[in-house]
Order: sequence, then structure tokens, then C-alpha cells
Amino acid sequence: MKKDDTKEKTLSRRNFLKTTGAAAVAAMAVGNLGMPAKYAQAAGDALPKKWDETYDVVVIGSGFAGLAAAIEAKNAGASVAIIEKMPTHGGNSIINGGDFCAPGTKLQQENGIPDSPELMLKDMLRAGLYLNHPENAKIVAYGAKDALEWTESYLGVKYVKIGFHGGHSVKRAHGMLNQTGAELVNKELAKVKELGIKIQLRTKLVKFISNKDGRIIGIEVRKDYKFPDEKSGKTAFLKAKRAIVLGSGGFSQDIKLRQIQDPRLTDKFGSTNQPGATGEALLAACIAGAMDVQMDWIQLGPWTSPDEKGFGFVPLFCEPLVGNGLMINPKTGKRFFKETGNRKERADAIILMGNPAIIMGDSYAVNKNVVPHAVQKGMEIGAIKKFDTLEDLAKNYDIPLDVFLKEIARWNSFVEKKKDDDFDCMIFKDTRPTATAPFYAARLWPKVHHTMGGLVIDKNAQVMGFDFKPVKGLFAAGEVSGGVHGAVRLGGVAIADCLVFGRVAGKSAAAEKPWG
Amino acid sequence: MKKHPDRKATKAVVFIFTIMMFFLFSQTLWAAPKLAQSKAKGKDCAACHVKAKMLPDNHADTKAMNWEACKTCHTKDKLSLIGKLPGSHHHQLVEVNCVKCHGKTKKPEALTMEQCVACHGSTAKLAEKTKDIKPSNPHTSPHYGTELDCNLCHHQHTKSENYCTQCHKFDFKVP
Repeated sequence: MKKDDTKEKTLSRRNFLKTTGAAAVAAMAVGNLGMPAKYAQAAGDALPKKWDETYDVVVIGSGFAGLAAAIEAKNAGASVAIIEKMPTHGGNSIINGGDFCAPGTKLQQENGIPDSPELMLKDMLRAGLYLNHPENAKIVAYGAKDALEWTESYLGVKYVKIGFHGGHSVKRAHGMLNQTGAELVNKELAKVKELGIKIQLRTKLVKFISNKDGRIIGIEVRKDYKFPDEKSGKTAFLKAKRAIVLGSGGFSQDIKLRQIQDPRLTDKFGSTNQPGATGEALLAACIAGAMDVQMDWIQLGPWTSPDEKGFGFVPLFCEPLVGNGLMINPKTGKRFFKETGNRKERADAIILMGNPAIIMGDSYAVNKNVVPHAVQKGMEIGAIKKFDTLEDLAKNYDIPLDVFLKEIARWNSFVEKKKDDDFDCMIFKDTRPTATAPFYAARLWPKVHHTMGGLVIDKNAQVMGFDFKPVKGLFAAGEVSGGVHGAVRLGGVAIADCLVFGRVAGKSAAAEKPWG
Repeated sequence: MKKHPDRKATKAVVFIFTIMMFFLFSQTLWAAPKLAQSKAKGKDCAACHVKAKMLPDNHADTKAMNWEACKTCHTKDKLSLIGKLPGSHHHQLVEVNCVKCHGKTKKPEALTMEQCVACHGSTAKLAEKTKDIKPSNPHTSPHYGTELDCNLCHHQHTKSENYCTQCHKFDFKVP
């Protein structure tokens, strides 16, 4: 009998794989977990003998999305708790650059920039290779302005400038005070505190608990958890009478999971994210029956340096230099790709090359285009270097000198005629030949930046199961969800996504009928 | 068919043995620090560390020393103790013993930051004091302002750490 049971299970798993494919393989490889929803849920979980705490809504994660959800759920009359596994609040949002893309705003009007939700949606879909779930992308594009105004009028967030990000048709990135997402997160947090919602730090989700109908009714957590010690902390059970909102972020720092999705992304690649950006909460939702989507669309920043940690200063040096200076493969001494290509093309080209590239510019290009603070800080760290001659630069990076000097001369000839015959790089009106000493350079090696894929949600942020039905009692928003961005997430749209869907998720969770 | 019960029996023996070993070891592990803690004194290494050698052979006897005495040899520039001595030891050497932080209790619990601030003063003042530290002031940040929990870096009963380094390359020496 026993044998037969096993056989049947194996067979059904195989069938399941045939139909559901890659999404499930991810979960299975991590812990043999890719059971179809009906198997995961039919048994139901062993219910805890006692719930340690009871709330209407439990929010997992304290970034942009989680905090927005908590605020809306509370304002809809629900009792709310927020759990956060790290010892600090804010997740990746608190180290975010603070650009909020929204169309048709007051700040755009003041700057004479015509824009519309239609245009933003068009940009998102084009960048996303039309893999975006169109309904969800539309909700973000059409809801961004309202969400932005909510952060201004209700939370008191200050936006000080309007900026541009690659892939957008117009300037629509609303830059927060001090160029950091902390401005928004900390004001969300202040509101959360004002509303009397408690954040439980160092509290990690272990698993979702569902009843025999597959409805999520609570979670098992470890309290006093000390990241990343998986043995630390004490078990507790939190009951969610109405719903759970998952706002646990992406998995850029989860080397095991991201390598399953994109095997190139070994530990050779750093990440711009905080160390807690791992995927266990997302996988826990899959185990509870949630369906994942587009998990292998993982965005790398082509502007990061292997010579500094995290996001660092080199991106602020590299991006204003492309089209004003050139990118060299130090092994060959030659250019290898269109410097002004998009994030994905450039990152792929460097990875294919197999070694870090050099971005360089002369004094004219650097002084004219790069913020002095970024150059100074980058040089202090040693990630940006200054050379009196091109020979010194070549020597430092072991570049074959003859070829290199010829390549510089060739580039300069393209600059003179404003046309790049080799790679069709954009050369700007004010670009000058690379000739004025001293010269500045930095090494480039992509870092993992954003995971576009995640849980399937509908327009109400309701998580969908492998049976295409709602996973009752579970909502998700922000980077843990998938579909809004498709293949490529445009700069500044992550905050729009988190705020729009975070608020939707909070309202939906509070409106869910209590199970008991 | 025959093999199954055998294997089960072996498994059971291994399981019981493991449980026994666990209790044996966990008992000793728990017992040792309890005994030692009650005698805790920053200057008397053996009171807690018993026979483990904590200082170099040629180190002067510390039993009669306080923090001031340590400083006669260990200056800021020479043989600095910054980052080498756990915070609790420093506290003990300036007569801030277990009870002064944890109160009279058999089960000392982790403290909140308010207790640090009660003696050491406001974090805003601290940030002002350290504003010239390079490459960046360790007591304020664009992310958390001055409100980051002291204990994220300054541990008392284990080696302190530099919380910033998880994202930044700030080479701070953390006391």
C-alpha cells in the first residue's frame, strides 16, 4: 500500500510539472515543495494548540508596500500587526534612491512636462517586452498619481525635483528629499506609530497556516530571530482573522533561489540590495498554494562596481558618463558594446565578456556630467581612480597599450563626427574627444538589483493559486508580487508599484470576511 | 519484508542515544555560565572564564585593576582595547555590574536602547560628538537618522560588529 501511495504522488508531481513548468521547479528544487495546491492544502496544516496573538490583519515586511498596507488596513477599521525579520525596519526601501514615477502631476506641470497614464503604461509595457500582466501594469500607471499625492498630503513626503530614468518617454521620476526612499518609509512609519500599529522586529515568518479548505488563517513565526541564524528565536503563532498581507520584497540576495531561476547569477555577483532580500517568504506562500510567475526575470544593474559594496558611488559616475566617455574591455583594449544601451543589454554584454569592464572619461566629461560628491566618495573608497596619462590608466588595469590608444583615437574620431560606426552609441551635442588629463576610470561588474517575478496577484492584490483560484486570506504587494513589470522594471516604477498595490492590499485584507 | 523492523529498531536506538547525548551536553553547557555569572567581575578573568587563558603570559595581574589602571598601558594609539574587549567587561571595570543594567533577577533579559540612553545621553548628542569620523558619521545615516538601536553594533556579551558594513565599506573600529 505504502509503495503505491508514493508512486501515485510521484506521478502526479510529474504531470503537474508538465503543465505548470518552471514556476514549480523553482520551489521543488529548494525543498521538494512544488506540490500542486490541492495537495498542499487538501491535508490542511496541523493547527496550533494555541494562538499566541490575534489580529484582523497581519502584514509581513516593513518596506514601502507593507507599511502602506498596514496604514490602509488600520484606517479601514482592522486591528493590524506588522512583522519584520530584520533588526531594523524599512527593508530594501530604506536604502532605495527615492524616485517615484507618476504621470500628470503638479511637479511635472510646473516643469512644463506633458505626460499621461497612457504614456507611462506604454513605456512600462515596451520595456517589459509586453510580458507585463496588462491589467496590473495599468493599475500602477493609472494609480501612481493618486498614490503620490497621498504620500504628500497624508504622510507629508516632500518631492524636490523631477528627474529622468532610461526607458521612460519623459521626466516623471519625483525625487524625494535627500535622494532617499527613507524619506517615504520613515514617514509611513511615523503614521503607523501614530495609528498605534506595532512593528515586531526580529520576527520571521516560518510558514503560512491554512485550514482544511486551504484558507490562510495565520502564520508560524520565530520571535527574537537573529538574522541570518536560522536556529535563533522562539516559535509563536499569529492568528489573522481576516487576512495576511505579504510585502516581503524580492530575492536579489538569495543566491540559491536566483541561481535556480538564472544559473548565471552565482555568488560571483553581488547585489545592490540589503542582505535580508531573500526569498523564503515568497516560497512559503508557494508551499501554501500561491502561484509564482516570471521568476527568472532578474534585473542586474550594469553600472555597479566590484570595488565597492552594494549600490555604491560608481553608478552615479558611470551613468552620466555613457555617451560622454567610453567603455573598454581591459583584456582586449577595445570597446565592446553600445555604452548608451539599456540596463539589460549592457549587463548581459559584460557577463558574456566574463570580466569587469572599464568605464572612463576625461576631466572635461567628468567635471561637466558627474556630481563632484560621487567622484570624491568613489575615489576615497578606491572604486574610482584618477590618472595623469592614458598610459598610467592602461598600466593600472593591465590594458594592452597600443590597441587601447588606437581605440581611443577611433572613439575620438566618432565624437568629432557625432556618429559611432562601431556600436551606434549615442554621442551628445556637448560630447568632446577624450583627451583632457587627468582621466578618471572605474571597473564595472553587474550586481543583482531587482526581481521582477513573484506571486501572481489580481487587481485586488489577491494572491492566486496553482488552481487559478484565489488563495483565500492571502494578499501580496510590491517586489514579492510578479507581473506588473514583465521583463524589465523601469527606474522609479518600483515605488509606484509598492504604494499603489500596497494600499490596495491593505484595503482588501481589511475587507476580507473573518474566518473565526 | 524482514529488514524493516530491524531498521526501525536501529533507528530507535540511535534516536534515544541522540536525545541522551543532547541532554548530557546541554546540561553542562547551560550550567557553566550560570555558575560563573554570579561571580562576574571585569577584572577577574577566572571568575567567569575559569581556566581558559584570556591574557598573554606576560600580562600584569588584573585582579586589582579598574578601567583607569588598564589605560596606563592601553592608550588610544598604543595597545588600544577598542573593539577587543567586550562592552560588558568595560562596564564592569567602571563599576557598572550586571545588576546595574539588568536589575536583580535570576533571568537577565535583553535590554532596550532606552537603558543605554539613560546613562549615555541622547543619540543626537552622540552623533554631534562623532560628526568628524571618516568616511561617515557612524551615529547618523540618511536611512535611520540617529535612531538606530545601539545594540546593532555595540554588543555587550559578544564581539561588537559594524552594522554598516553589510552595505557599506566603512572601516569603523567598534567599541
